[in-house]
Amino acid sequence: MTDLVEPGVTGPDGADPDHEERGRRVELTSAACFVVATLAAIALAVVYWQGGQPQAEGVLLALTLGGIGVGIVLWAKHFMPNDEVAEERHPLQSSEEEIAEFSADFAAGQSSLGRRRILVATAGGACAALGVALLFPVRSLGPRPGRGLKETPYRNAPIRVVIESGVPVRPADLEVDGFITVWPRGHTDAADAATLLIRYRSDQGFEPRPGREDWTVDDIVAYSKLCTHVGCPVGLYQAQLGLLLCPCHQSTFDVMQGARPVFGPAARPLPQLPLALDDEGFIIATGDFSAPVGPGFWDRGR
Amino acid sequence: MSDAPAPETPRRRRGPEHLLTHRLARWVDSRLGTAKLARTTLNKVFPDHWSFMLGELGLYCFIVLVLTGVYLTFFFDPSLNQVIYRGSYAPLRGVEMTEAFRSALELSFDVRAGLVMRQIHHWAALLFLASLGVHLARVFFTGAFRRPRELNWIIGCTLLILAMLNGLFGYSLLDDQLSGTGLRIVYSITLSIPLVGTWLASLLFGGEFPGPDIISRLYVIHILLVPAVIVGLLTAHLAILVRQKHTHFSGPGRREDNVVGERMWPTYAAKALGLFFLTSALLAFLGGVFQINPIWIYGPFDPAEVSAASQPDWYMGWLDGALRIMPGWEIRAFGFEIPNPFFPGVLLAGLTFGLLYAWPFLEARVTRDHAEHHLLDRPRQRPVRTALGMATISFYSVLFLGGAADVLAATFGLSVNAILWTFRFLCLLAPPVVGWVTYRLCKELSARDGVPTASTVTVREIPGRLRHREEPKQAEPESQALRS
Amino acid sequence: MTGRLHRWLVAAPLVATALATPLAVAAAPSQEGDDGQLAQGRELYLTGCSSCHGPEGEGVDAPSGERGPSLVEAGEAGAYYYLSTGRMPLASSEEQPIRKDPAYTPEQIDALVAYIASLDDGPRLPDVDVRQGDVAAGGEIFRANCQACHSASGSGGALSYGRAAPRLSEATPTQVGAAVRSGPGQMPVFGPETITDEQLDDLARYVEYLQNPSDPGGIPIGRTGPIPEGFVAWLIAIPALLALVGWIGTRSPIRRPATAATAATAAEGDDD
Repeated sequence: MTDLVEPGVTGPDGADPDHEERGRRVELTSAACFVVATLAAIALAVVYWQGGQPQAEGVLLALTLGGIGVGIVLWAKHFMPNDEVAEERHPLQSSEEEIAEFSADFAAGQSSLGRRRILVATAGGACAALGVALLFPVRSLGPRPGRGLKETPYRNAPIRVVIESGVPVRPADLEVDGFITVWPRGHTDAADAATLLIRYRSDQGFEPRPGREDWTVDDIVAYSKLCTHVGCPVGLYQAQLGLLLCPCHQSTFDVMQGARPVFGPAARPLPQLPLALDDEGFIIATGDFSAPVGPGFWDRGR
Repeated sequence: MSDAPAPETPRRRRGPEHLLTHRLARWVDSRLGTAKLARTTLNKVFPDHWSFMLGELGLYCFIVLVLTGVYLTFFFDPSLNQVIYRGSYAPLRGVEMTEAFRSALELSFDVRAGLVMRQIHHWAALLFLASLGVHLARVFFTGAFRRPRELNWIIGCTLLILAMLNGLFGYSLLDDQLSGTGLRIVYSITLSIPLVGTWLASLLFGGEFPGPDIISRLYVIHILLVPAVIVGLLTAHLAILVRQKHTHFSGPGRREDNVVGERMWPTYAAKALGLFFLTSALLAFLGGVFQINPIWIYGPFDPAEVSAASQPDWYMGWLDGALRIMPGWEIRAFGFEIPNPFFPGVLLAGLTFGLLYAWPFLEARVTRDHAEHHLLDRPRQRPVRTALGMATISFYSVLFLGGAADVLAATFGLSVNAILWTFRFLCLLAPPVVGWVTYRLCKELSARDGVPTASTVTVREIPGRLRHREEPKQAEPESQALRS
Repeated sequence: MTGRLHRWLVAAPLVATALATPLAVAAAPSQEGDDGQLAQGRELYLTGCSSCHGPEGEGVDAPSGERGPSLVEAGEAGAYYYLSTGRMPLASSEEQPIRKDPAYTPEQIDALVAYIASLDDGPRLPDVDVRQGDVAAGGEIFRANCQACHSASGSGGALSYGRAAPRLSEATPTQVGAAVRSGPGQMPVFGPETITDEQLDDLARYVEYLQNPSDPGGIPIGRTGPIPEGFVAWLIAIPALLALVGWIGTRSPIRRPATAATAATAAEGDDD
């Protein structure tokens, strides 16, 4: 390598026979790639015309595109000039004169603007007011967040609980160690009212929370199905352990102890629903959940 | 301008002026005066190191996304009206679902080439984000974000965020069980923002979750608003790149005041075109051969149901992992609260992108280096930056693994609780360890090269030619820069 | 789903069950005729099971060493599930029960099942007929009750503290019915009022479908969603792209050293 090295330059064609030979091979390969691409494109059209098949479509499209791509790259690498050239970087910053000229021109124009302070101030105020006014249609995007976040249709208690098809539930419908999802009657499409009914074993060590001793019916307890972390339905009931596991982020709730969180990111227990039996022996809710359901928000506690 | 052919071309051929392309160029030029600019463009020099082509990969993925996406818009219907499915997929026949989900099923089963288009679109989205990730890493580890390229770094970070959001919104359009669960999480994280969270969530979703509007709103955002902004920012990104010229590694003849490489025309343009075709070929192959997002298995979204192993697409995995690893802490006082998801979902995300945006300015301030740089660093020459970068990557890698905790547990027969506890400690312990090891490695490699690291060199602006003359044994690192 | 279709699907089997129950009770097989099977069952039980489950199936609750739960209320369904999937017998009570080849022949399993069922009232083994099942209805039942633990594709899922809901790829229809009725391990119990016998047919039909789904998109890579998809992106596609970029970006070796004439051409090309 010589001392003072400018980027080397080569001509596109060498004069040696090895290079010629290699060149012909590459040319044939490249041309073959284009031919493969053409055939694949035709095959793709045929496949499509015959009814289509996803794997064939994908592979044939890949062959078409890939054939063209390989052909072009071979062409570029072997037949296009690969000289290394240098280009100067001129200073990006404008020269001092240019900046001065700009400043002078801008100041000249601005003087007629800037001197009229009252105009500038009132015009600015008007534009700002317009900007603020134009934000107001954003308000139409959604309703004011209201009591809906803190209440569910169970506020119409006493109300029967029903399965998704609308059929009410008797305690005998639920086996020991069984669980089902229920809603308040007439509100099976209320996303915030999904409720878990769980029948625990009598000897499983259920400890009712203070003040909720009569919230269960025949060893059946009801909790909100919405995780208090980010609201995924807590659909995993591990019957032997008495634990509810949320599959989204692994929050775990102890059914025997008021569904308090025992692992994972959830910080609050699943709200509990008070249950009783009506005169026909169906399970009813006697009030709304013990706390707002689902994930937390700023004023949840107010 | 004579019509006689130039002396060296054979007389039997007409001169280039008669080619169609030439006549076309003259037609345009006589109206716009483009010849000078066009010539400048043709002769633009682009350094051709392989690592400079990573950003292009993102660009080509984006082009494929737009092309396949337009096709999909002709069939997809973002309506939340309830319908009964009567299409050709038997296990869902008679099931009630939204029009959005139904149209996605129709696209997958009853539209010719519909499924392959959908799958190419989704694979392209995954690879778009992956390309941006490797491109970001290359720019970071070589110091290409330094002055005068801070603006392009900011544009790039914005493109990254927009790409992530558009991917999230895109796969949520289908209203299947998996993506609907993801939207629920988006809603709840929005809800967790202090003071304004409940308002933001209600305005975005048109009410309480799920709300009647979210899919149609996300549709407009996904096909129009975000792509428009991406196109604008991409154009600016490339324009700035052309104006400032690309950076290059040091090597023979390479200095701060020049750029060495190959000309745009024809070689660089041909290689770029070839890479576009090859990238599209790979995406087409993936789209046909590897099944992705089988929404017919997930079923239509029901807010009371969820599947085990629910994860977002890979690029959101760090956020999902952060949500899982975070212990159950909340702040509550006077009836107000900052709920748990705020910390990993909003605070961590904000810190992540805030630091990302601020990095060029932070580094310039700490190193007191406000000079222009057009020569790139080799990562080993900047051990502190490289170590910090690797430490950061290790932190987010632990978060990514955290997002897969339940799948890891099920696959390897481990306790998911133990895995999450391990990651809680690992996300704090791994970064310093990885950072330290990286630092030592950089120092070691530099010592072997005989090239001093940035921390031991006091003079920055050494023209390449001068250095070459003074230390003739520099051949090795430069040719390595060329070869790697 | 709400709608007439679903209401009909639920109401019809309930009515049919209500009508059929008195007939079924009258037709229940008496125990005298199966004395031989019961004796064989008891024999097998004492040899293979009593060390952990006690001589009368009452369970063994030692603080350490071999112990096992009571089988008194396991019923036909519980016994059949564990024995036919090979989860029982377990070599040691510390092991996790996993599916393996059954240790007993089908006749021995029938005998053991009969013996366990005779201990007390436990869930009956349902008579599952997949040919009667509607795959779409089964899918809805599966997604409402099963996918939270077993995942939408039936690949299984993690539970707490190292336990797992198993994959369903080898479950026979009767095993599905047995598991649903007996709630083995951590699985809850779904009785005939929650999932009727007709719905069990549908459910088993859907589980059968999941064992061989249509996968029109190509290689299913586990059907567990974004995680394997991410691995394909990073372990297959990105290396491929990097290889392509490496191939394209590497300049072919410089073929001739610079000469005066060509250096002059290069200098001219530097004009901006």
